[in-house]
Amino acid sequence: MKAQLKDIIVPLIITLLILIVLEIISTALLPALGVQKYIIPFNILIVLYLGFKLETPYLSVIILIVQYFHSFFSIEGWELGTIAGVFICIVISYLRDVLHFSSAIITIAVTQIFQLVWFFTVSFLFYLKTNSFSLIVEKMWRFIPESIVISLLAPFFFAILDRIWSTGGEGMLGDDA
Amino acid sequence: MRIGEGEGQKTKIILNVLVCAVALYGISTRDFTQHRTSAFENVMIDFFAPIQKSVTFVQTSFNSVFENYIANVNASKENDKLKMKLSEMNSKLFSYKEMELENVRLKKLLDFGIELPYKKILAQVVARDASSDFRVLRINKGLIDGLKLQSTVVTGEGLVGFIYRLTDHFADVLTILDPNNRVDSLVKRVRAHGIVEGDSDRQCLMKYVKRTEPIILNDEILTSGLGNLYPKGILIGKVSRIERESYGMTQDVTISPSVNFGKLEEVIVLVSDSDEKKDLEWNALDSNSEEKDK
Repeated sequence: MKAQLKDIIVPLIITLLILIVLEIISTALLPALGVQKYIIPFNILIVLYLGFKLETPYLSVIILIVQYFHSFFSIEGWELGTIAGVFICIVISYLRDVLHFSSAIITIAVTQIFQLVWFFTVSFLFYLKTNSFSLIVEKMWRFIPESIVISLLAPFFFAILDRIWSTGGEGMLGDDA
Repeated sequence: MRIGEGEGQKTKIILNVLVCAVALYGISTRDFTQHRTSAFENVMIDFFAPIQKSVTFVQTSFNSVFENYIANVNASKENDKLKMKLSEMNSKLFSYKEMELENVRLKKLLDFGIELPYKKILAQVVARDASSDFRVLRINKGLIDGLKLQSTVVTGEGLVGFIYRLTDHFADVLTILDPNNRVDSLVKRVRAHGIVEGDSDRQCLMKYVKRTEPIILNDEILTSGLGNLYPKGILIGKVSRIERESYGMTQDVTISPSVNFGKLEEVIVLVSDSDEKKDLEWNALDSNSEEKDK
C-alpha cells in the first residue's frame, strides 16, 4: 500500500499535466480537425488506471482532484465522474486478486468492461438528475465508439502511467512497496 | 505522513464516504441554467483556455491557407456572381431601411415599449466541451469584455445559445443543441408556441406544440421572447420533420438549426444593460409567487 503522501504528490502532478495536454487535444485540436461528435474522455482512462493500479487510502481524493481538473474543460463538473470512479475502485478492491494486466489484449478487455460500469453509474446518476431516458440512449450511441478508442489506447497510456507511478507493468501499484 | 495498514483501511473508508457525500451534494445542487465560477476555477480556466485558443488558431490558420490559396480555383467566377448578388442586396437594403423607418414611426404611433438596446460583442470559438454529453463552446471573451451570465449568443444565421459559465477572459456557451437548453419559441407563419430542446448534434425538438396547429415543413422557428433569457425574433431554425399522431394533444416537431454548429468560428454575444434590473424584477416575481403558494 502506498501510504506516504510524498510518493503520491509528484506522480499526481505529472498525471494532471498529462490530463491537461490530453484535454486540450480533445477539446481544441480534434474539433478543429472535424472530430466534433465524439470527444475522447481521457479523464476516464486516467481514473480507471488509478483504480486498477493504485492502492492508497487517498485514492478517492486523487480521483476527485483528477475530476476537478477535468471540470475546467467541461461543464459536466467533477461530481459524476468522482462517484463513478470511487464506485469502480470499490468494485476493483474486491476483484484485485483476479485482475492482472499481463498482455495488451487483457488490458483492453478489462478497460472496456470497467468503462461499462462507469457508463451505467454515470447514466444512473444522470437519469436521477434529468429524469430523461432518451438522453441515456443518445449517450450510449456515443459511448460505444468513444469507449473502444479509450480501450485501444489503454495499453499505451497504462505503460506511460506505470513509469510515472513506479508500478510494475503486470501487477498492482503497492504490491512491491 | 505515514499510516499503518489497519488505520489506512479506516482512512480509505472515511475518505470514500466523505468524497461521495460531497459529490452527491454537488450533483443535487447543480444548476444547468448557469454556473458561477469560484476564484480558483476562474484562474485555472483563464490559464488553460489561451492554450486551447492557440491550438485552435494554428489549426484554423492552416485551414485558411489551404482554403484561401490552394483550394481557391473558381474564385474569380464566384467573385463575379457575388458582385451581382451584392448589387441586388443593396437595392433590397434601401427598401428595408425605408421599412425600418416606417416601422419605428408606426411603433411610436401604437405606443409600443422601447426595444432594449443590446451591446454586440464579437467573440471567437476557441474550444469545445471535453464531454460529448454536453454541447458547449468556449469563446475568447469574458467578464472584462462586458459579458454577463445568461447573455444571448447568436450569429448572422441565427441563435447559438447562452452564456453558462463565465471567467474574466473566457466564457462557456450552452448551445441550443444541448438538452439542458430550452428555448421558448414560436412558429413564424402561424405564431404557434412551443419549447425547443436540444436533441442531437444536428437537430432540436420543438415540444408542447398543439396538434391542431397547421405547421408544415420548412416553417421558420423564432424565439418568442418569453422566459427572460432570449430576445424576441431570433431565428432558431426550420421545421425538418413533423410527427402528428391521431391521438394526443401535441405533435412532435423536429428542427434543423439555422446555425451550422460544425463550422462555427465566430459568434456575437448580445449583452443587455438592463439585465441586472430585469433579474431583480424576475426574482421579485418568483418570490411573490412562492409566497402565494405557501
